Amino acid sequence: MKYIPYLLLINIIFSAPDDPLVKALSAMKAGLYRDALSHVVEAQNMDQTNPEVFRLKALLHEALDEENEALIAWKSCLTYSKNKLLKEEATVHIKSLTRE
Amino acid sequence: MIKRLFFTLFSMGIIGCWYGPAINTNYDFGKVGKINIHEVQDHSNLFGSGKMVQTSLSHNFLKYGFSVIESELGNVVVSVGSGDQSLELSCIITEFTDSEVIVVPYRHEDRGYTKTIVDQASEADAGNKKAETSSSTTTTTHGGAISQGSRVEYTRTRVGIMLKMRDTNSGNLVWSNSYWYSGLELHRTAETCVKNGIHQLRKLLQ
Repeated sequence: MKYIPYLLLINIIFSAPDDPLVKALSAMKAGLYRDALSHVVEAQNMDQTNPEVFRLKALLHEALDEENEALIAWKSCLTYSKNKLLKEEATVHIKSLTRE
Repeated sequence: MIKRLFFTLFSMGIIGCWYGPAINTNYDFGKVGKINIHEVQDHSNLFGSGKMVQTSLSHNFLKYGFSVIESELGNVVVSVGSGDQSLELSCIITEFTDSEVIVVPYRHEDRGYTKTIVDQASEADAGNKKAETSSSTTTTTHGGAISQGSRVEYTRTRVGIMLKMRDTNSGNLVWSNSYWYSGLELHRTAETCVKNGIHQLRKLLQ
């Protein structure tokens, strides 16, 4: 019985997500897009050519009304993606964001 | 090299035409005086989606400087000029998804680290008037590790619409195009999707 607080403490320490993308998605679920974005940037530094990370970053920037930053992220997504659907999505967003 | 350039330009042209609007080139859009917006039906995914898109249509016309008249029965008329012809605008919601799951595969990279230990010791011998200093450096490099194959999931929204306009008198279809957009929030995604459509319509009516 007396070990329960110690077990709980160990559980809390070791169950906290260490990965930035996991942290980002937890923040997104809570509606904390700014915090999520900082974790996505961290994830991007670890995997600099992942188009999915760029898509997530771009969508977060759009949700935060940061159109220029979103545009840069979509362009990077388009550069690194080999997936036809993802390329199409990036193109649609780039067209919309560069509209006069 | 030239062949590749030609192929790329040709493909871009084809894609551009494919995704562009369909326009009746014989129709004179300069003679249009008003556009009647038809009621937008709900998408099967979400009750109220039709109302949301219809409101967004009126809102965007108004935002782009057109005069919008909304009757009590819900009919919406947009004044676009002094012409005597009128158009009927109808909108079909082709997609209205608020929780499409996106999987993000990623690799976690531990970039390692370099540890340097410097040991320094100095000794002074007063009798022999000598001073000695010794130093040793140990550098340890940890290479790190890359773990691949992890994935996380999140949900996004996706809205698609198809707009078409026909001449009220002749019934001829004069313009049509489809649009879609994705985002994290449904209302914002629907708004941007409709905005893209109205933006293109505005250029046509100018």
